[in-house]
Amino acid sequence: MSTIPPATCPFTGTTAAPLDAKASTPAASTDTDGREAPVADWVRIEDLRRNPFPIYQRLRAEAPVHWVPAVNRYMVTSYAAAHEIEQDEARFSANERESLMKRAMGHSMLRKDNPEHQIDRDSYGATLRPGTIKKHWNAIFEANNTKYLEELKAKGPGADFVWDYAAPYTGENLRLICGFHNATHQDMQRWSQTLIDGTGNYADDPQVWAKAAASSDEVDTAIDEMLVYLAKNPDHSLLSNLASFPIPLEAIRANLKMTIGGGLNEPRDVLSTTVWALLTHPEQLAAVKTDPALYAKAFEESVRWVAPIGMYPRETTRDLVLEGIRLPAGARLGVVVGAANRDPQVFEDPESFNIFRPKKPHLAFGGGVHFCAGTWIARAQVAQIALPQVFGQLPGLRLDPETPSVDEGWVFRGMTRMPVLWNH
Amino acid sequence: MPTIIYSQPDGTSTEVEVADGGNVMRAAVNEGIAGIVGECGGQAMCATCHVYVDPQDAASLSPVEDDEDEMLDCTTAERTEFSRLGCQVKLGGPVQRLRVSIPSDQV
Ligand code: HEM
Ligand code: FES
Repeated sequence: MSTIPPATCPFTGTTAAPLDAKASTPAASTDTDGREAPVADWVRIEDLRRNPFPIYQRLRAEAPVHWVPAVNRYMVTSYAAAHEIEQDEARFSANERESLMKRAMGHSMLRKDNPEHQIDRDSYGATLRPGTIKKHWNAIFEANNTKYLEELKAKGPGADFVWDYAAPYTGENLRLICGFHNATHQDMQRWSQTLIDGTGNYADDPQVWAKAAASSDEVDTAIDEMLVYLAKNPDHSLLSNLASFPIPLEAIRANLKMTIGGGLNEPRDVLSTTVWALLTHPEQLAAVKTDPALYAKAFEESVRWVAPIGMYPRETTRDLVLEGIRLPAGARLGVVVGAANRDPQVFEDPESFNIFRPKKPHLAFGGGVHFCAGTWIARAQVAQIALPQVFGQLPGLRLDPETPSVDEGWVFRGMTRMPVLWNH
Repeated sequence: MPTIIYSQPDGTSTEVEVADGGNVMRAAVNEGIAGIVGECGGQAMCATCHVYVDPQDAASLSPVEDDEDEMLDCTTAERTEFSRLGCQVKLGGPVQRLRVSIPSDQV
């Protein structure tokens, strides 16, 4: 924020007290023998959606990788195996065949390997980087936060934290980051949801495809309009940068759709999950209230504890052995970072939310060349701006005991209902 | 081949040979050198590959660009004038032998 001197990290402050935690650096496995992946035919989608964590515990204890018929993929649940995949794009490609994401959104950077991927990634320029956030976005996030907190207050106690505040706040931020001056945050939310539904349309429901296609067309039209406008009236947005970048329109469209799908729900979910976690752990809430520097820790622990993107795909490029499990070339993998982030080999007492745990790198933002491009945007808008204001401006904030909150999902997980009360 | 010497906070050190054009982060991650995480795979987006380069070698390295500079403000251990992101420091050319110290904290 504006009061922080220029030479400090805008998100975490400069230094931290020494900790003895070290990164775990798993040894790469050799591509020789290995055993078949066990089959987990007992895993059901409904159970994953309700609460995936007991399932992950059982899977991880049995083997680092399983074939899961219900998901039609190998699920990778150990930290070491997930980390090995992220760091090795030669053996584990992001360019999945028959990808539903490619069908719904086009071929974005997220599904390309290098060198192609890097061209797209570089086309995003400095828009999402810490320097631009500090100089430009933080003030905008603050204004949006004030606006949507006021709307929540106007609704009064009993309002829903997710839908009456977190969703519009993060939607409006992303709208401006992208540069959609011709759309509303409601458009952003609708586009995001329908495009995401397309990427998850394993049932091949024609209605889901129709909605995704309609949104896709709307986004294309909005982009065409904004590229012309922003070429003449440049700002700090992604589209403004792209207006002068030598890159095919097809790539711009796919990347923007992927960013709409991946940049709105995750900050919304981590904001709601973190508030929920703090409200249900009063000692930790008391600690962050007395030391606001701890909001950054609460954010990081929250994304570890409930990774907003619980699983993402990769595909093997050759026969190989991953952490002792043999996988054929072309095997479709689900990298379950939601499970890896609770691997007891890495995190002590991994199932509990504890902002004071020794710091270790979690995998919620992915890793390797596809490491989330919006990491610092998420940290800024949630940890630095929203969380302190939420607790500062809503005294006595608490969950509504009459109407319970609901958390659900596993590929994407977050609060879907969270009615709150406060003293006003 | 160019050589990197990684010194740990406890005083131990490891020598690693790298190909021309290799960088300090990638070589460390491949060799499993403790204390260099390299979360973002070299996108200059995570600051978990922070190292202190030997003062004698600092001048021969490519200068710190803007992306690296802003990210160096986000290192966990203290930034000094010898702080670099390992992923942005390449070996080869005039840089044939480089000594780096690994900070006590990376995340
Ligand atoms: C807490 C919030 C967020 C989480 C947990 C998150 C998580 C992730 C993960 C796990 C990936 C990698 C997926 C893979 O490798 O297949 C990713 C990639 C990406 N994220 Fe995020 N994300 C968040 C917020 C954002 C925001 C706010 C934006 C944009 C403003 C964004 C933009 C992107 C982009 C563009 C990529 C693709 C990077 C590439 O392929 O090189 N994310 N994110
Ligand atoms: S590896 Fe992430 S900044 Fe160097």
